[in-house]
Order: sequence, then C-alpha cells, then structure tokens
Amino acid sequence: MAASAPRSSGGFLLRRSEWALLAAIVVAVVLTAIIDANHSYWFQPLASLRDIARSTAMLGIFALGAAVVIIAGGIDLSAGSMIALSTTVCASTMLALAPTEMVGFKPVGGAVVTAGCLASLLAGFLVGTLHTWLITAVRLPPFIATLATLVGLRSLARAIATSTTAALLPTKNSQINVYDPMFKFVRDNVWIPVAVFGLLAFVTWLLLTRTVLGRHVHALGGNEQAARLAGIRTDNVKWFAYCYAAMTAALAGLFYVANESVAAPANQARGHELNAIAAAVVGGCSLSGGVGTVPGTVLGTIFLRVVIDAVSKVIKTEAEIYEGLIVGVVVVLAVTFSQVGHLAKGGRRLLPGALGLCAIPTLAILAGGVVAMTASPRAGLAAGLAALGLLGALRVWEGRQAAPVRTA
Amino acid sequence: MTAASTGHMAADRTIEGHAITMRGITKRFPGVVALDDVSLEVRRGELHAICGENGAGKSTLMKILSGVYQPDAGTLEIHGQPARFTGTRDAERAGVAIIHQELNLVEDLSVAANVFLGRERRGWAGLIDDATMEAETARLLDMLECHVSPRAAAGGLRVGDQQLVEIAKALSLDASIVVMDEPTSALTEAESARLERTIHRLRDCGTTILYISHKMDEVFRLADRITVLRDGRHVRTVERTATTPTEITGWMVGREIAGHSFHEPRPRGAQLLEVRGLTLPWPEHPRGYRLADVSLDLHAGEIVGVAGLMGAGRTELLETIFGASPPTWTGEIRLDGRPVRFMHPREACAAGIAMVTEDRKRLGLFPDLDVAGNVSLCSLDKATRGGFVSRKREETLVAGPIRDTGVKTPGPHAAITGLSGGNQQKCIIGRWLLTEPRILLLDDPTRGIDVGAKAELYALIDRLCRQGMGVILTSSELPELLTLSDRILVLAEGRLTAAFARADATEHRILEAATASTLVRATRSPVMGGML
Repeated sequence: MAASAPRSSGGFLLRRSEWALLAAIVVAVVLTAIIDANHSYWFQPLASLRDIARSTAMLGIFALGAAVVIIAGGIDLSAGSMIALSTTVCASTMLALAPTEMVGFKPVGGAVVTAGCLASLLAGFLVGTLHTWLITAVRLPPFIATLATLVGLRSLARAIATSTTAALLPTKNSQINVYDPMFKFVRDNVWIPVAVFGLLAFVTWLLLTRTVLGRHVHALGGNEQAARLAGIRTDNVKWFAYCYAAMTAALAGLFYVANESVAAPANQARGHELNAIAAAVVGGCSLSGGVGTVPGTVLGTIFLRVVIDAVSKVIKTEAEIYEGLIVGVVVVLAVTFSQVGHLAKGGRRLLPGALGLCAIPTLAILAGGVVAMTASPRAGLAAGLAALGLLGALRVWEGRQAAPVRTA
Repeated sequence: MTAASTGHMAADRTIEGHAITMRGITKRFPGVVALDDVSLEVRRGELHAICGENGAGKSTLMKILSGVYQPDAGTLEIHGQPARFTGTRDAERAGVAIIHQELNLVEDLSVAANVFLGRERRGWAGLIDDATMEAETARLLDMLECHVSPRAAAGGLRVGDQQLVEIAKALSLDASIVVMDEPTSALTEAESARLERTIHRLRDCGTTILYISHKMDEVFRLADRITVLRDGRHVRTVERTATTPTEITGWMVGREIAGHSFHEPRPRGAQLLEVRGLTLPWPEHPRGYRLADVSLDLHAGEIVGVAGLMGAGRTELLETIFGASPPTWTGEIRLDGRPVRFMHPREACAAGIAMVTEDRKRLGLFPDLDVAGNVSLCSLDKATRGGFVSRKREETLVAGPIRDTGVKTPGPHAAITGLSGGNQQKCIIGRWLLTEPRILLLDDPTRGIDVGAKAELYALIDRLCRQGMGVILTSSELPELLTLSDRILVLAEGRLTAAFARADATEHRILEAATASTLVRATRSPVMGGML
C-alpha cells in the first residue's frame, strides 16, 4: 500500500496517523506557547521558528536516509559517526588544499569549498558501500555492521583530524576550525538548510513512491526472500539504501560544519543517529521493514524537534540534559499510540502478572523523579503518587477484563 | 484438573462423558471465515478423526483447541469444564497436547531438552537436572520404538523421529487429550506403521485422540468416529462402521467438481528445456546432496509433474533451474539447446522463465504492497514514463493479468492481505504472466487453496499450456499431478526414482516410487542406531 497507493490507507493527502502527528505538533506548539513563562513563541515567533527550522532541517536530512534504510528492512546506527567523519573530511580536505587561508581565517575560495563538500559526500558513498559489503558479502546482520562503524568511524575521524593537523599545522589538534564566509553564510541563512531538507524530502518521496527502485525498496523491506525470488537484485537495492543513508548523513555533516564553524569529531553529532531513527519510527516507519513514508518521517522529525524545543523553553536551566529522556518518552508514546487498536484487539494486557506489578512502581518512580527534578519535589511526589494510582487502577481494570471464563 | 486424570486412567476405551465439547466455535481472519459456528463433541477415550480438504478449517480448529488461537465466538469445554485458553500452556495444563503439522522443536537443543522445554526438571539448588530428564526421555522414546539418543540435537533427527519426539513431549505432559495434525504427511511407510502402533498403545491407555488427516485408509484403520469439515463448517460426524471412504470424500468435496477434461491432448511443441545430470551438493548434511543426477526435458505446451515427499528435492530442482539456488550445482541445463547457468532469478526471468514459489506467504507475497503493487512488481519498468512510475499506466498494466487469471478484488489498490489464498495465488501467477515467460515453474501452487479456486487454477494452467507455455508443476497432492500432467517424474531423497507417462501413472505407483529409496534407509536405520 505504501508505495503504490499513498492515499489508500485512510485520509486525504496524508495517512490518518500522519494527520494525528500533525495535530500533535500543533498541540505541542500551542501548549508551549501557553506554559512557557516567557511566552517566547508569542513574542518572538520568528526567532523561535528559525531555531526549530534549523534543528529540524539538520536532523531531517539524515532522518530521511535513516527512513530509507528502515523501509528497506535494515538499520543504520552509524549516522552520528558518519556526520563526524563528514565534518572532518570536509575540513581536512580544505586544510590540505588551502592551509594558509584556513589558518589565517581567510576565505578559501569556492573551488576549495566545493572540493571539501564533494570529498565528504564521497566518504558517505564509501561508508555506504562498506556497510553493504559487510551485510551482503560478509553476511553480518545490519545491526552489527553499523554498530561496528558507529564506533569505528568516529575514531577514524579523530585520527584523520589529528594526523592532518599534525602534518599541515605547527601543532596537532583534535579539531579543525572552519571560518570560510560561505559556511558563515549558510549558518546565518536558515532558509538554506531548510530548502535543502525540503528538496531532499521531495526527491526522496519521488524516489520511494514513483520509481521502480523505490518500489523495490518497499518490496525488499516487506519480504526479502520473496523479493529475490521475484528477480529483484536485492543486494543492489541494499547498496542504494545504505549509500543513501550514509550520504544524507554526510550532507548533514556539512551543515554541522557551517553551524558550529568547526570539525570536532570527538563529540560532534554524538548520539544523533538515534534521533534520526526515532524520527523515522515516530513518523510511522516500521523497524521490521516495508512500511514508512516520507511525509511521516518529515512530520516525525518536526514533532521530535518541537517537543525538544518545548522542553528547553519550559525548563530554563540545562534543558539539554533532558533531551534524551524526552526523545525516549516520545518514541515510546508515539509507537504505543499507533498500536492501541492492536493491543485492544488481541486481548493483550499492558500490565500482566508479576512483570506488570513491578512495572507500576518503576513507571511511577520515573514520572515522579522527572517532575521532582524539573519542577519541585512536592510536585514530583504528587506526580509519582498519581501515576501509581492510575496504573494501579488500570491493572485492576485489566484483571477484570480478562476474567477466566467467558460465557456465550 | 481432576477430570483429566480420570480420563487418563480409564481402562475402558470409551467411557461416559465427553472429553471435548465445542459449541458454535467461530473464527474469522481478515477476508475469511476460517470456522463458522462449528459444534463438536468428542467422547472420552475415542479416536476421533477430523477430515476435510485443505482450508476446511481443520488446523484452525486444532489451534483453538490447543490455545494458539482464541475463538471469536463459541465455547469450549474440556472434560465438562468450561475452558478458555490464552496460550498453549493453558491447554497443556488442562491436559491437551498437540502435535503440530509443522513441528515445533528447538533445533539446537537436545531431544531431552525439547521434551521438557518450559517444564525443566530441577535438581540440587534449583539447577537443571539433565540426568533425570534424559532418563525420562529415554524411557518415553523406548516406549515409542524411537531409537535416538536423548542427547542428540533435535534438528539433526529425521522427520519421523522428530514427530515421535513431539509425541514423547505430549506423553510427558500426561495429556489426556492428544491432537495430531496430519502426522503422517512426511513419514515413510515404516515410520507410519510405527506411529500407528504408538497410537494404538495410547488409546489402550484411555487417551482421547483427535486425528486430523485426509488419508482415507489411515482414517478407516484407526478412527472410532469421523467428523467432516468443509469451508469452515461442520458437515457431519459419523461412526466409522456406518460409512465408507467414498461417502466421506463426497462430504469433504461437497460438490462433484465438473470432471476435469484437461486430458484432451495438448499439441506438444519444440523442446524448451533440457536438464542433464543435475547435482546440487549439500555439504552440511550426511546425505551430501540435495539433488543427485536429475535429468528432465520440457517441451512447449507440456506439463511435467514432479512428485515427491517433503524434502525430496522438488523445490530445490525448480530453484536450481530458476537460478535461486547457490550456484554450486553441476550438470547441464540447456534452454533452447543453449547451456545456461543463471546466477540470479533476474537472469532466469530475462530468459523467459518464471517461478511461482511454494510458500506463498513466506516467499511470494508482499503484504505491505497493494494488489497492483504485487502484480506489477516484476515488470514495473513497463509502467514508467520518463523514469517515474505512472499510477495510471500501472493500473492499465495489471488490469490484464487480473482479468485473465480471474482475481476477485475490490480494486487494484485493495490490500493483498484481504484477498483469499486462491486470489493471492492468482495475483502471483499474474505477476509472472506479465513477464511473458515461456517456461512456468509452479511449486505446489494450490497449497492451502479451497476446492473451487483450485479448479479455476487448473483451468488457467491448462489454458496457458495450450497457448504454448511449458510448465513444470510440483504438488504434494497426487490427484492434482494426475489431473494436470502429461508426464510425471518422481523424486525421492534428491534422486529421480521413476518417470511415468500419464497413462501409466497411478497414485499407488507414484507413492511407491516416492518412498522407494527412503524405505531402504528406514530398514537400515535401526542397525545404525544400534551402532551408536
């Protein structure tokens, strides 16, 4: 359905779940505008929009790549490290081609910048090829193959940064500063990453829904063996998918360089691969493959960034500490809600047996703790007790539902 | 459950009361009603056979009885107690054990570990007590005349022995009700005879047995009563002594399918395919090969049937021709007289070969694509304009095969999972017809399809053949092969053991050839067991 009939699963233009996601975004924005003590969405709409747009575009670019791999039935855990490699390759190439300008904070020229960017994209292609080779020829599970590169590529990037600076500069350095005005221009003009993201989303959508290759991506993810027996060269489709993921991450890396004026492989984009996967999953991509759309992924990305931004507006101090927590909660909630019908139909219980008994205090402590740390200890205690009560009631209700004997 | 032990201890074969009472059991799956208001009573200690065509609802009924599925409506009583199983563990606790058609053994665990899976015996300090479990398993296996070591890995056993391990598991549960789902479908005659002795022994102990089969001779040898299901409905339950196999078969089919007149001679055309001495090695298996020295010819306008038991190499033969096997085979495959060696199904497809795979769900269907997407998949290139897939062109493209194969679908963009098995299969055949093949490989194409759809598929295959296509057909149902084929080849354990012209082929002769080499092995195996 996904590929050949984007409108068939309920709803006009978007699927029903995508409309729901859109509504959730609006609700999150409105709530933030109200709850935020500074009401910055109200008083500085443009600045707020700019922040969210930039962060959404930077995440969205490689979330699209993650979505393609996930729809193809794979997974790419290495995007964050790929970004670090991309920033380093770009900066190192420019440093090698124009060392004096780079050191002297002078413009390096369009040709050098182009070379740097192309080198990054080439690195993306090579990493994608490496992934595909590990998965199809060496026959590693995608999780293992990209876990290896997740660890390996960041280390490689650091080695490249250190050895390039050692060879070309008086002192070796773990990062390379980039001051070229072209990168500054990109940083100061948010519309550029947004336009690139929009264009890439359109291209990806066209590719997935309107080309033979896109159909084959869906087929591969939906049923790999059947796809092979239908005469699809599944290895080539995988090659495309993993290169697309790595190259979109490389492209995102260029915007990281622009945004932060530096290639700092030690920590740049660390952990961001999980945000991309989360955005795709929130947007409706199934990790078992075959299912997912570009509009869903775009909305998932926006939703994730809006919620993160909302938290930073509501919690004034050190909001970034809570980013991971929020992403985790959002992913769990989004996927749970998309399965609510499934849960109810199968007669499954959320809090079954001893596991359910232990899950109740776990969730209550989590909820109470978070509220205590962000608001006040008293509110935390109240929230924890409220969660305990609600979950306990749910448990009792479920127990009643699953009475042992059913009479006709 | 106390009632369970009473049933088990009874010395008398059939005693008062019912072991199982089902009332109004209904189970729906998307697009199909698998069971429609089925009521059934099974007496304590009897052997009750359930007969029905594929898709009649036999397996669904058994899965409800064993807690795999929950019914949408209706009630179930075990020994007079209302029961509602939410999993197989519930059913086991109530004394119901099922031996599934597809065996549920953990291949890497030992036989003993499988028998006691989930109910492991504990010894000192709660640690697993392998010695006790192995001794217990050995005792059970001995009783079943199964000569394998309790320590052997379950995956390495022959299918017949695996089945007995499943039965040992049921025995270890002290089950008062044992359900067997077509237990002899993959057994040799010697193994079947051994199984029958086991069944007699169980029944003598008072165990109630539900026996699902469509093999009339078995049913009439074993059963006390027979229930016939058709299209998810209960047709009737009769005493064995009050009926005949012909009568049962008549109830199973329901209507006489208009005599297949596919035997009008089809014009035989030029030779398309020639296979000589095809051998496919199987290094990790003691036999060493999946196929050995197989030869066959296929002409235009001809249907060549390939018979064989499960694991005989039917699928491997078709996959090797189609380029889907590892390219380690030796021998020669000639297409139009030219030697070919396909490294990927794509190449076979380009050369005009199409293959409809055996297991529709696992190897054929794309559940996330719609009907049109499933049909157009192999020839989507034909529906593009300027490199992009045109929705309109795709609809036009798939309209042809959907009409020709007679797919009943609400529209080209309906979900494929909503169609019945027969219509799904027609979609897959339609997918391959779009590639305009000259050779069609059909691997058990009517498995799990209802009788009516089967007849339609036969007519379709016959028509394609008359249009000049060459067809190689495998089937697990001999009547199907006898109905359609011009010639029938028989495979047994990877070797060709017979080739019949249609006039000479009978079910009996084919079965004899299909079990030929396996019988030799079966008589030898106790000796090998002794040597171990």
